[in-house]
Amino acid sequence: MSAHLDIKFVQAAQDPWRASVGEFGPLPIPPIASHSLLTLEQWQAVRDQWPSGLAVGLTLANTAEVEELAEDLSRIDLVALQFPKWIDGRAYSQARVLRARLRYAGEVRATGDVVVDMLPLLQRTGFDAVQLRDGQNEDSARRQLSIVSEHYQGDVHVTRPLFSRVPA
Amino acid sequence: MYQYTSFDRQFVHQRAAQFRDQLTRNLAGELADDDFRPLRLQNGWYIQRHAPMLRVAVPYGELSSRQLRQLARIAREFDRGFGHFTTRQNLQYNWIPLPKSADVMDLLAEVDMHGIQTSGNCIRNITSDAFAGIAPDEIVDPRPYCEILRQWSTLHPEFAFLPRKFKIAVSGAVEDRAAIAWHDVGLQLLKNDAGEVGFKVYVGGGMGRTPVIGTVTNAFVPWQEILIYLEAVVRVYNRYGRRDNAYKARIKILVKAEGQKFVDAVNTEFTKILEQDVDGREHIIPVSELERVSRHFQDPNGVHPATNSFDPNRTGPAPAAFLRWLERNVHGHRVPGYRAVTLSLKRAGQAPGDATSEQMEAAAQLADRYSLGELRVSHDQNLVLPWVREADLFSVWHAAKEASFATPNIGLLTDMIACPGGDFCALANARSIPVAASITERFDDLDALYDIGDIDLHMSGCMNSCGHHHTGHIGILGVDKDGAEWYQISVAGSDGSTLSGAAVPGKVIGPSFSADEVPDVIEALIDVYLRERQAGEHFIDTARRLGVPTFRAAADAVRRDTAAPAAPKAAAVTEAVEAV
Repeated sequence: MSAHLDIKFVQAAQDPWRASVGEFGPLPIPPIASHSLLTLEQWQAVRDQWPSGLAVGLTLANTAEVEELAEDLSRIDLVALQFPKWIDGRAYSQARVLRARLRYAGEVRATGDVVVDMLPLLQRTGFDAVQLRDGQNEDSARRQLSIVSEHYQGDVHVTRPLFSRVPA
Repeated sequence: MYQYTSFDRQFVHQRAAQFRDQLTRNLAGELADDDFRPLRLQNGWYIQRHAPMLRVAVPYGELSSRQLRQLARIAREFDRGFGHFTTRQNLQYNWIPLPKSADVMDLLAEVDMHGIQTSGNCIRNITSDAFAGIAPDEIVDPRPYCEILRQWSTLHPEFAFLPRKFKIAVSGAVEDRAAIAWHDVGLQLLKNDAGEVGFKVYVGGGMGRTPVIGTVTNAFVPWQEILIYLEAVVRVYNRYGRRDNAYKARIKILVKAEGQKFVDAVNTEFTKILEQDVDGREHIIPVSELERVSRHFQDPNGVHPATNSFDPNRTGPAPAAFLRWLERNVHGHRVPGYRAVTLSLKRAGQAPGDATSEQMEAAAQLADRYSLGELRVSHDQNLVLPWVREADLFSVWHAAKEASFATPNIGLLTDMIACPGGDFCALANARSIPVAASITERFDDLDALYDIGDIDLHMSGCMNSCGHHHTGHIGILGVDKDGAEWYQISVAGSDGSTLSGAAVPGKVIGPSFSADEVPDVIEALIDVYLRERQAGEHFIDTARRLGVPTFRAAADAVRRDTAAPAAPKAAAVTEAVEAV
């Protein structure tokens, strides 16, 4: 498992990733272009034609079954998971499964209603990039990562629980 | 009892610092109230009717005298001099102003306490048998497992924002004193034919608007794999539990809706964790860890088993009041020469489960003098001294009387469970405390109480069921209709104990009653029992045998405010979403 201990704070203005959307929402057949951020349906439409090595990202609803993507993950550079409300914790499980079960090594990004106080949870379940909700303070967010320095249970980085880390 | 390690201590202090950071941002306007709310809830801070309520975790009900003194100090210096012990073995304060909250968290951390996960949509403080480790009918001491579960569930990064709250109860005895089938997960420790220890797992029990008894999803999970099994259960719940409707978000709804598919999903997830996850076997509990934690729960220094069997009349006839106290408030013990003593928090003039600062200090002193400094909080909202020498019982009785803890009513009608109700709780539809007081007043004759015998009277101020009304042999539920308080009464509920029979919600006996009518109704129900009981029957037996109609008729006969033709329909049952 890759160690993504640093969290990247994504600024929309500098972000190279672009959704393939037209006037009526996601384009059914998205153009093949580097750094396209596709929905699951869009990806299914173009996955057979997508050139290897061309950067592609998926944006997944928090109801998506990430395990169904097992075969495609090696071609995917970014998985954007969603928090429609920040207290909806489904995407933590998706991230955990992506990292620990599917060995996904690309970027896992938290998008949507992402707030400062989620940072420790995001990091520990395998997110390595966050796009904070407007108005959130990045300094406060960084500070959250160091307040509680160690935990009882394992996570995707410190895989051993406390009881296996310290001598009995 | 469990002694904090340097790690535990650092962890709680860091958690307190994290809360202070949140509070500071909130007071500075950086963290909006709406966003602060779920964070403070996960530290035990509610906003209630008068002020925030703080719920302090008492892990599986074990408390030291030192901790209880600190709780007394907090009550005196920050609250109005009292606290309330809950059915989940926690302690609640009602009057602490929010700006002081971080200071209180620091004081709690000084004595290895906190409010972590006592509220919010996360895995809550784990509850267990108040007699764990000392009960004569114990199969396996649940406390080491409770502690391992406490550590695993504390700040679990994946399971902090579940669809709804998630409560785990553990029992290790023959008798279920933790009402495990009524929890999101109930764990029954047992031994298989080979003598190996494991858990029978119930999932999807719960009270509230839709009372459901848990389903056995696995008859034997080896203890080493229990964290893996729970990870599978909670992950399935996190992914598939409903989030569109808070009333349907508990795991009980998912288990009911999916049935065997839920069990299959858990089993599949369990297998995948073990066989596919890169770290899937890391949370298998090693023997060394169980041994390390178990060492904390060895009998405390100073326990010396005695061979003499206790005879209260050894030096002449004992006072009748002492014998009554022995009968009701003193319980058997695993260690010869010892007993467990319940300090009753059910007495006239105080709300069930309430204790003043002075009473907490008195209980701490009793624990120091007679119970090796240890106490328990019981599911029935009393305190227990777990290590009382039989030779000390007479002295303890005197000291307990002095401190108003000796009402010999444990298990009797006035030993009722009741939530704080509308006097304090912002969710409540109706008050509990005055109704409890009027019942206590009505049944103030001890002879009558003893004649009525064992009975569970449970009262909740709203559908959230903190007072466990569904499991009462008599249940009282506060409901709201047109802004007025009414009380719905049920009979023959069971928490799953031997006395009460298989866990089942009580049956409502008709339209709601007014507060003034409630003591009359209770008396009428009791009269039915006294009139109709057959030899050896407790109230619950008679209630089950006769069913609703007999009790309904008796209750209807004492209606005044709600008598026809002005009787209100069964008041609309409303359930507050941000449940306790």
